[in-house]
Amino acid sequence: MLSTMNTRAPLRWLGKQLFNREDPGAFFDPLLAALNPMWVRGYVPARLQDVVDEARDTRSFHLRPSPRWQGFEAGQHVNIIVEANGVRHHRTFTIASSPRQWERDGSITLTIKRLPGGRITNWMHDNLRGGEIVGVSEAFGEFDLPEAEIPLLYIAGGSGITPVLSHLATLANRDFRAPVTLLYYVRSQADVIGAETLYALAARWPALTLKIFKTEEDGDGALLNDRHLDAVPGIRARQVYLCGPKGLMDLAGNLLSQFGIRESQIQSTFFSAPSAVAADTPLGGEVTFGKSSKSVESGGDAPLLEIAEAAELKPAYGCRMGICHQCSCRKTSGTVVNRLTGKPSGPGEETIQLCISVPQGPVTVDL
Amino acid sequence: MKPQLNEQQLNELAKDLDAIRDEVMADVGERDAKYIRRIIRLHRTLEIGGRVMMPFGFIPPVFAAAVASLGIAKIIENMEIGHNVMHGQYDWMNDPSLHSQTYEWDTVCTGDSWRRTHNYEHHTYTNVIGKDRDYGYAVLRLSDDVKWNPLHLFQFANYLMLSVFFQWGVGLHELESERIRRREIKLSDKKAFLKDFFRKGGRQAFKDYVFFPLLTFPVFPVVLAGNVSANLIRNLWSSTVIFCGHFTEDAETFSEASIENESRGQWYLRQLTGSSNFTGSKWVHILSGHLSHQIEHHVFPDMPAHRYREIAPRVEAICHKYGLKYNTGSFGRQYWTVLKRIGQFSLPDRVRARLPAQVA
Repeated sequence: MLSTMNTRAPLRWLGKQLFNREDPGAFFDPLLAALNPMWVRGYVPARLQDVVDEARDTRSFHLRPSPRWQGFEAGQHVNIIVEANGVRHHRTFTIASSPRQWERDGSITLTIKRLPGGRITNWMHDNLRGGEIVGVSEAFGEFDLPEAEIPLLYIAGGSGITPVLSHLATLANRDFRAPVTLLYYVRSQADVIGAETLYALAARWPALTLKIFKTEEDGDGALLNDRHLDAVPGIRARQVYLCGPKGLMDLAGNLLSQFGIRESQIQSTFFSAPSAVAADTPLGGEVTFGKSSKSVESGGDAPLLEIAEAAELKPAYGCRMGICHQCSCRKTSGTVVNRLTGKPSGPGEETIQLCISVPQGPVTVDL
Repeated sequence: MKPQLNEQQLNELAKDLDAIRDEVMADVGERDAKYIRRIIRLHRTLEIGGRVMMPFGFIPPVFAAAVASLGIAKIIENMEIGHNVMHGQYDWMNDPSLHSQTYEWDTVCTGDSWRRTHNYEHHTYTNVIGKDRDYGYAVLRLSDDVKWNPLHLFQFANYLMLSVFFQWGVGLHELESERIRRREIKLSDKKAFLKDFFRKGGRQAFKDYVFFPLLTFPVFPVVLAGNVSANLIRNLWSSTVIFCGHFTEDAETFSEASIENESRGQWYLRQLTGSSNFTGSKWVHILSGHLSHQIEHHVFPDMPAHRYREIAPRVEAICHKYGLKYNTGSFGRQYWTVLKRIGQFSLPDRVRARLPAQVA
């Protein structure tokens, strides 16, 4: 009955009457979570099968989402829900495994690097072990595989390799015949993520040309440059996928345009856990109101409530002094400083009080 | 006599209280999450237990157990979970089912209406006669600031009615019927409110008085009587607890003029002197949603409520430091002063002035 309560309309209506909530199935979650956390209805639970070291500061987390999870396309991301010190956190990660692996044994792999100063990636490395339960969202993102069999060029840097791993495994399974080149930039051999998978693919799949550049070990020539692109046969006809740190993506964009590659040929993505802003970042920043698709610049210590009102939005508010929580709403990204405590928030999705939250860098709120 | 503190003392008072707040809020985490989840598990267990036992209520001891189980479940849900979650005490957990602005509780009053009238009006304008409509709920005269009229003679009967039908009274609070009677506003101004009120009230009545009795048709009178009793227990208990929070002897009231350009220190002072506590065991505190620590609740409305018990000695010490009354006493004593206040203010001022123990 619980599993149908969220799907069948009459039962859902009845559930709302009885339990006073929009997700009536989750009413029993507190009890179910105590009995078996894989039974909860409020989010899709996933059991961690194991956690293995992948590269320096990088681990692969093998997860089995509950059977009601709807699957994904190669190159997509999921939000992972973890609870640390009583607080629920959402972070976005790219699925590094192929959809075929999920179809075969119901598992997905997230390959996650410790971010310097990142609270949640470090917490996950230090605390998550096989057997634990986390939540997963449905997959999203549009770093899609090519529809036709055309020559491809992947340029990836650091942990930006994860969607590429999923793509390559999928293409190899399809027996993709057009040439595929991967230029992968890492600092050293110890930083190569998915090394085993990559070497195995290169060995058994003739279409793939794999080039790994170790910028710290191989000297200056290992940084992305026009010679690397020159060496890619028929580069102008290739569809290009970019994924890596911003510096690499910008550089690649410039070089590719010099090679006469049109922007429509390029797809790029970069998803890793956003890192908290540095403590000395000045207050203010660009505020984006997601629901009303408005965006305004703010400066100084103006709180979000005043910024929203100046932008002619009418959010609910009450005391305007941080006590009544009338103005609480969802922040989907960015850091805000609490005016009462002076403390900065985390960078992820969470609830904030508009009247005492001052943006520190770009912020997106659900208004 | 209202307490008088100079500006410097008020600033120090604010600093002392902020220090407690900062210390506790910096420590909030795992322990508080575990606490509220344990309370929620207890609520679910009691509610399920009560609903399952109720059809067997034709056996008298089972009836008593079922009513107690469901009644206590409703009390815990309203007081320790609903009221506190809607204050934002657990917003930091980032759990959508414990979010202050979307939580909907098991009572007639809609969460939205409560958030407007209680979290904002009552907690911002606490005990300011004319602005805090919780002061006497516009039905009772509880201070000199309201002019006596002969209808006040019957206010004790009004009080009893309000207690018995408390969830409906709270649900209709935002209608501001007294302002409609005075023709300050029109009934049609309240259309949106009334629509929500009937939807939520209908939902609550449907659940307890139609759905569960019909589900157990052959024994429906038992189930109906049991559900009515459980709601009655919850109504009487919650109205009693709430009346003990602000209507005791010595709980101060304030005028609108006195709160103009109020500083944080003055706001704190008003919260401290306008509220009153009562003592009791751990379970008395839990079942009152820690409104037994009304003083602490009014100074720190969004602090997880089970922390009030821990900080109470420090708040009391601060009160003594500034020569303020820390209004507390046993449940019985505090409630007795509430009843006295209701009784005495029902009388014309001339008669009341001749009473021996004068209420402020």
